[in-house]
Amino acid sequence: MCHQTVGLVARHLEASGIPTVIMGAAKDIVEHCGVPRFVFSDFPLGNSAGKPFDVESQAETLDLALRMLESAPAPRTTVQSPQRWNEDASWKLDYHNLAKMTPEEIAGHRQEFDAVKAVIASKLDRK
Amino acid sequence: MKFAPEHDVPVPYMQRTRDYYRALGFEAPYRWAHYDEVPFTPLSKPLAQSRLALITTAAPYQPGAGNQEPGAPYNAAAKFYTVYSDSTDSAPDLRISHVGYDRKHTHARDPNTWFPLARLREAVKAGRLGGLTSRFYGSPTNRSQRVTIERDAPALLEACRADGADAVLLVPS
Repeated sequence: MCHQTVGLVARHLEASGIPTVIMGAAKDIVEHCGVPRFVFSDFPLGNSAGKPFDVESQAETLDLALRMLESAPAPRTTVQSPQRWNEDASWKLDYHNLAKMTPEEIAGHRQEFDAVKAVIASKLDRK
Repeated sequence: MKFAPEHDVPVPYMQRTRDYYRALGFEAPYRWAHYDEVPFTPLSKPLAQSRLALITTAAPYQPGAGNQEPGAPYNAAAKFYTVYSDSTDSAPDLRISHVGYDRKHTHARDPNTWFPLARLREAVKAGRLGGLTSRFYGSPTNRSQRVTIERDAPALLEACRADGADAVLLVPS
């Protein structure tokens, strides 16, 4: 949801005359939405701004974003950071991947989902 | 010829999410925001003279709202529902327990991976950026696109304008 949210906000700002750039890790969601400028890091969700405890990685990611602001020639410009999360790409097979879940795990996720929904509903009711 | 492995591509999050929720028993697929036309506004002056605003989806730490530590399970009680702002001179305590980040591969112990304020300050110091707005802004993440478009995005625009932002960096967590 985070990536969709910032996509929608970027579009609104841009349409109102303020240039924007998004740093993110969910390429499909951001590009499906359609945004002006996007720096894509092919990293697990949670690392949009670079690798943990790696100032150089973070600074390089920011530098790409600033260069995008300066030089993107048209909307929907995406640049992919040349950084790799690690040599082995197998982390990409894990997130929400049904092929790796047992029926018991899926049932457990359903219970968690219902519990989360109840928390949100009670919080909104109190507003 | 040696090509990269087939699975070494950007993770197809929309497809994974669709399949996942169908397996959980939800038949109607979520319809992700999707536009044909995309707005575009060029930078009006050099970055070294521009004031940049930062928008995050991270949440301020809320005492009493459950486990928000790095690696905590998804915590809906720590979500927030309206746009907030805080000083860019401060060192805010922001957390991401309220969103679906990759809990297996992201330990979430370094906030700089989702909130680049420290790196932005360095860019200002180095003269790369003219400056930062006096505040950064927090955007609620909402399943309802209507709430984001009709309520949160206009509130963020107003804040960015009030603080004289020449450009905006948005970072989802």
